[in-house]
Amino acid sequence: MSGDVAFDAFTEEARARLAAWPPKSRQLFGELLEDAGSELQRELLQRAVAAGHSPAEVHAFADELRPLGDDEAYEACTLESGTEGYTVDQLLRAESDPLFAFELKGGALSPSEEPASTPGVLDLEAAGYQSRSGRRHGFDEELGVEDPAPWLQAKAERFQAESAKAPVRRRDLRHIGESVEHTPKPAKPREPVASGAKPKAELGAGAPNRLMEDLVNEATRALGVTFREHEVDLPQGLTLEAALSQAASTSSRGVPIPIALGPEPGTARRFAVLLQSQVSGKNRAWQLYDPLTQELAWANEGDLLARRELPLSSKADRRVTRIALPVVRGADL
Amino acid sequence: MPPTARAPASGPLANRELNGEVLLDELAELRQAQVTQRDLNDCALGVRELSGVRVAEAQSRLKALATGRFAQQPALAGLLVRWAAKLKSEVDVPLLTSHLERLAMTSAVVSALRRGQDRLGRRAR
Repeated sequence: MSGDVAFDAFTEEARARLAAWPPKSRQLFGELLEDAGSELQRELLQRAVAAGHSPAEVHAFADELRPLGDDEAYEACTLESGTEGYTVDQLLRAESDPLFAFELKGGALSPSEEPASTPGVLDLEAAGYQSRSGRRHGFDEELGVEDPAPWLQAKAERFQAESAKAPVRRRDLRHIGESVEHTPKPAKPREPVASGAKPKAELGAGAPNRLMEDLVNEATRALGVTFREHEVDLPQGLTLEAALSQAASTSSRGVPIPIALGPEPGTARRFAVLLQSQVSGKNRAWQLYDPLTQELAWANEGDLLARRELPLSSKADRRVTRIALPVVRGADL
Repeated sequence: MPPTARAPASGPLANRELNGEVLLDELAELRQAQVTQRDLNDCALGVRELSGVRVAEAQSRLKALATGRFAQQPALAGLLVRWAAKLKSEVDVPLLTSHLERLAMTSAVVSALRRGQDRLGRRAR
């Protein structure tokens, strides 16, 4: 048995899937059918193809089935009636996809590479791949494509996404926590959090995270203003004194200064704006505005520099921790 | 000849809260009237050309903006006409120009930060 003659008894769907495979993969699949131990195994392979599995997956599935008798193969690829613990979606899919059922019941496929003639499907994504006809193939165009690469790409992506969603390669998922063969690794102990240490998830903490800069630059691009975000009172940033000094010169020219507030350097819990500054003698005062609570308050610069408290209702966020200073202005600044 | 003293800004433009509370009130009014950020940007770019012009000329251009470009935005047009009527001396013109630019800039920054506060909150949790 060789070539496409072997697929004559296949369903329309399986034949359509095979037509999208590279010739070498089709030939290899013919050989797998020849090697299959029984009609049942051939039927299971056909259904795996019809379900849209890749040549490599079907190949690995055939390798797993080959040593099994019919009863064992049937048992390995069928969910018993009245099975509990699976979702309806899993049950329905397992009925038509023996490979899926095999994995759901704990079967594992040996990793196998795509045939050498198959293009590196994941590389195509970066290359913005289009078929020779110039048409970009979507997921709905899997059937009947003349060039298999885009279909394989979509397939690979779908497979990876589904693998991530449902780790079906584990032992029976109905018994999470009661794994027979798998000895769970001890959980990695969390690093102790020293007092005063900054949670990594917060904006700042030395990370090159410029959320505020991105936000305001996008909003003020049409006005010809560009901001650069600086951490305040951290070694890689500006001191608050220097930051306010620079802010004063730009604020006086009409640019509000976005800032972030937090309890300590490297943290950022809320955004605020230095709306304007006023100088009286040797003193400078800043007007702060909190866009969320809409609080508006004046603060003496000396109080800001004391880093102890801000005249806003949230007393925990008591200091300026980040500042976005204007760097370019297209027009007259 | 002794140097002439620079004329002080007229009342409303000398207000300490011109670019604070007054500005935020104006923004709230414009937002209520569905004035878009694009309109505010156009207004800011339009009034930049006023720098250096005399009071009468500035008033005339502001009214032209109000009845032309912003005729479909009565709230913004009304604001421009009101401010045009308050210009008294040469020093008022750059102050008003700066104020109207701040209006657009503050609106853009505040809106962006308000939108970003959600993301910041998620990061901080």
